[in-house]
Amino acid sequence: MPRVTVEGMKFYYQQAGEGPDVVLLHGVTGNMAIWPLINLMPALAADFRVTAYDLRGHGYSDTPPTGYTSADMAGDLVKIQRALGLGPMYVLGHSFGGVIALHAALLYPDAVAGLILSDPYFPGLRHLETRVSEWSGWLEYKEQANRAGLEVTEEDWFDVGQLFKQTANLPPGRHEMFRKELGLAAMDRLTRLAATTCGDDVKAVAGLTEDRIRSVRHPALALFGDSSPFLATCRYLTENLANCRTALVPNAKHRAHEENPPAYVALVQKHLREMAGIAQPQRVGGAA
Amino acid sequence: MTRTKEQIMDDVAGILRNFNGREYSGDIDSNTLFFGDLGLASIDAVVLGETLEEHYGRKLPFHLFMADLGRRSVRDIPLGELVAFLHQHLNASTPG
Repeated sequence: MPRVTVEGMKFYYQQAGEGPDVVLLHGVTGNMAIWPLINLMPALAADFRVTAYDLRGHGYSDTPPTGYTSADMAGDLVKIQRALGLGPMYVLGHSFGGVIALHAALLYPDAVAGLILSDPYFPGLRHLETRVSEWSGWLEYKEQANRAGLEVTEEDWFDVGQLFKQTANLPPGRHEMFRKELGLAAMDRLTRLAATTCGDDVKAVAGLTEDRIRSVRHPALALFGDSSPFLATCRYLTENLANCRTALVPNAKHRAHEENPPAYVALVQKHLREMAGIAQPQRVGGAA
Repeated sequence: MTRTKEQIMDDVAGILRNFNGREYSGDIDSNTLFFGDLGLASIDAVVLGETLEEHYGRKLPFHLFMADLGRRSVRDIPLGELVAFLHQHLNASTPG
């Protein structure tokens, strides 16, 4: 099993292809399997050396009790980059993975060649996202949580730590509800994170303030679902980052990579090739 | 080395019986669901792919298997389909 050790901590990773380096970061509660599942990893491996790893506390990586802020996990990213001998990297991060990616560009500007920010929500831009509870998918999200025996309110939508704790303390009578709705594996991974500071850490600005976000000058793509709850953040990034393009994935919400994988893969492929100066093939595609 | 589907099913069941420290005491057969019955996660499918490559001593095109799994509306898979995939690629003339 390929693992890279940095400062005594083991990270599970996979690598494919040859070329400029691309690193893929999943979101909180996810794991790196999403990238082969949506066929992104093999699609990019035609042009790039693609590395995907499990964030700390996720998948087959170690779970330290603390250190889950975007600054901590940006540190993990560049240490893994060094340990694997990767060059300046294009970093694609989904959701909190996007926060980590941007924080890495800020803290370690030379380590990062470009950014694909896939539906991130930044604690430092929380004031922009005042209308998440009016988002079209909110009710659906809330109902799914209820079916799983969890309770979410409009006030704590951003508080994943609550979900971790509720899951870890689920009364036995509700275990079957949770299992049916979200699966046993989800119970394991939320319970595992409940024993860490992850829930609080991912809410922390951790130095990634609005001023510092807008100071990032790397080539970037804001890639959001066309019905994402975080379109205010999308607009903000497009208007305020010095070098940021925008692409919307059709028929998608927050998890565009899972909701419309062919369109997502095609957009990532096209924009990464542009950033890296790789010629587009005559017929753009290969993702369908 | 040719392996029959029955032999491959035994190999897979043997690996999943105690997969990375998680024991499974129920029946494991071709109808057993990877996620729903065994309670495994998507990342376990990636690691199972590596474990099977080590077991058989050759590379197998698991990215095709994962992409197929990702396209399903209900993301689960009976082990019989994994066995059929392995049977096809283990018995192909060139390594995948």
